[in-house]
Amino acid sequence: MEDRAQTLVRKMVPNIYQPYPVSVHGVKEETGDIKTFTLGFKDQEIQNRFTFRPGQFVLVSVFNCGEAPISICSSPTFSKGLQLSIKKMGLLTGEIHRYTEGDEVGLRGPYGNGFPLEQLCGHDLLFVGGGIGLAPLRSLIQYVLSKRSQFGGVTILYGARTPQDIVFKDDLAAWDKEEDVQVTTTVYRDNPTWKGEVGPVTRLLEKATISPSNTKAIICGHPAIISYVVFDLLKMGFAEEDIITTLERNMKCGVGKCGHCSIGSKFTCMHGPVFTYREIKTFPTGF
Amino acid sequence: MRGTVGKGAVMPNELILNKEHLTGFLRKIAKERELIAPIKNSYGDTLFEVISSVDDVSLDLESRPAMPPKDFFLPPTETLFNYQREGKQYRFEEVLPDVSRVLFGLRSCDLWAILFLDVVFQENFKDRYYLNRRSNTILINIGCHEPMLNCFCKSAKSGPFLTQGYDLQLTDLGDRFFVEVGRPRGRELVDKWDYFFTSATQKDRDEQYEIVLEAESKFGQTVDLDMATSRLINHEVDDALWEELGNRCQGCGGCAYVCPTCYCFNIVDRPVSETQGERVRMHDACTLAGFTRLAGGYNPRQERSRRIRRRFYHKLPFAIEKYHRPSCVGCGRCMEICFGRVDMIHFIKMVCERGKKASQEASLRLGEILVQAGLISREELKVALEKQADTGKPLGIQLIEDGLTTTKEIALALGCQLRIPETAGTEG
Repeated sequence: MEDRAQTLVRKMVPNIYQPYPVSVHGVKEETGDIKTFTLGFKDQEIQNRFTFRPGQFVLVSVFNCGEAPISICSSPTFSKGLQLSIKKMGLLTGEIHRYTEGDEVGLRGPYGNGFPLEQLCGHDLLFVGGGIGLAPLRSLIQYVLSKRSQFGGVTILYGARTPQDIVFKDDLAAWDKEEDVQVTTTVYRDNPTWKGEVGPVTRLLEKATISPSNTKAIICGHPAIISYVVFDLLKMGFAEEDIITTLERNMKCGVGKCGHCSIGSKFTCMHGPVFTYREIKTFPTGF
Repeated sequence: MRGTVGKGAVMPNELILNKEHLTGFLRKIAKERELIAPIKNSYGDTLFEVISSVDDVSLDLESRPAMPPKDFFLPPTETLFNYQREGKQYRFEEVLPDVSRVLFGLRSCDLWAILFLDVVFQENFKDRYYLNRRSNTILINIGCHEPMLNCFCKSAKSGPFLTQGYDLQLTDLGDRFFVEVGRPRGRELVDKWDYFFTSATQKDRDEQYEIVLEAESKFGQTVDLDMATSRLINHEVDDALWEELGNRCQGCGGCAYVCPTCYCFNIVDRPVSETQGERVRMHDACTLAGFTRLAGGYNPRQERSRRIRRRFYHKLPFAIEKYHRPSCVGCGRCMEICFGRVDMIHFIKMVCERGKKASQEASLRLGEILVQAGLISREELKVALEKQADTGKPLGIQLIEDGLTTTKEIALALGCQLRIPETAGTEG
């Protein structure tokens, strides 16, 4: 027996866990273990409804493998589909790495707060990325470059383990050609053909010309990298609220219920994943 | 108002159900809805169970069921979707629960816990699975006239009787139940089967009130949940306490499974065949090692002490900050399941007692300084410390109230001790 209240729930409450089918439109091999997938919703109506901010993430379903939270690495201004860069880590990511054009995955979202675009407007921007951590930054960088007049100078510092581990090589080269954009890439271990910088990404900070009073720093990478970069930025005179990072946590629901991504009294999926250092400082588990 | 209420009339908010009519009432309910009530099984365990025939079971309205009723809203495992893949096509089909239930004989703490879950699953993103079950479940609690050994609902402000939130609330008056009508669903029930009820008299009301008062005085466990919470908020809990709890916790997750408000869950896929599977939601616990582990192995809460810390912070200050109530209802189940004493009662006591010890030490230090400064005698200090132990007031306040010293004198004495110049203390 279904009563009125139940009928109302059925009609009025959408299913927050429902994944929608998307198909793979393209796969690009970035490195030995990272691929960028370009995706499009099967249903045009859902595609049109789907809007997001740089820094938000989606939950990706892969057949018989469950769901995983993945940052969107394309800009909302990019019209040819949604892009996700995925590193091969376990069961789900291993399976999706086998997918080719035409294969389907499930997708729900977007979730999370995204980068504070309003607060970034009118400022110089410093991006510091490590490894696959460049993915969420790429969404914002491309957004900024498509709305160039709203932002000041852009400095991009990127660190990878080896030259083979550098992601978005074409993008890094293209960004460097843009006016008032500086891109520097460093590797931790070089090879004979590498002509660029060698050493941790923090070393690039020492060489960069940045005015901390008018710059917002946006960082993403392994927790250890983030903590070193934050330490150096504070030393350079950055205010705590001008240091912005996006955190990785175990997430199951994406909607602030399941408890896995809790950080202090907040949920990374709802109040984050983008936090300022001022906020992070108050969390008991840090990065 | 006395006697039966005429057919078709609106029933008053306070009624009497004679015990001999209980089975009849439940039988009627069970014909229309799934009836769930606490049953004592052949092993002597009391658990909530679905009742198919009211006459064949032994209701237990005295003890608190060993497991909480949350399973009826958040099953230990539930299928959210069936999915299939045909060719390249990958589709999810929703599996929505369809139930219509009456939960009868809930303890107040458990009903209060359901109200807590209501808030969690309704805020921001609404959870269709939870709400679908919840929106068609009627809640009938029975107030506790005899708290059990580990109950502390009075401290958690969730019992032994409720003033709101129930559809119907029963009080056992010996030969009859005093029935309070709460939310509209409760009214529908008593209006529908009004012939089981008579309106309550002033005598019934007085009797019920007496039972409530008596029950409140019978608690063996009284803990200061508010004090523990404020110590957590002010970070007045030392790391040694978390270490100790971390060492004793075995990471079994039992405390979360028996907790009526713990709702954390996991979502996993269960392959059924090459082309089909189920997406399943299941209970999870923040004390388990893998709860926060990331792909790649990094774990923000690697140490057990951190996970315990998380659990208690979530249940007390974080829940209060967000929902204005703790997510502990004082049922005492965690105390029964944990031999390591990593339960709410021991935790609150530990936090409060260590705080008390620290404040006693601080009092002794202050007393000593005042004696050395010649402001009070050793005898006066002893009397004040004894008094303070009773009143719980800070030693300084106690001394000032007794007219033995003033704020300014204390400030001066402390200033000398700490080698800081005279502060602008005002005369107290």
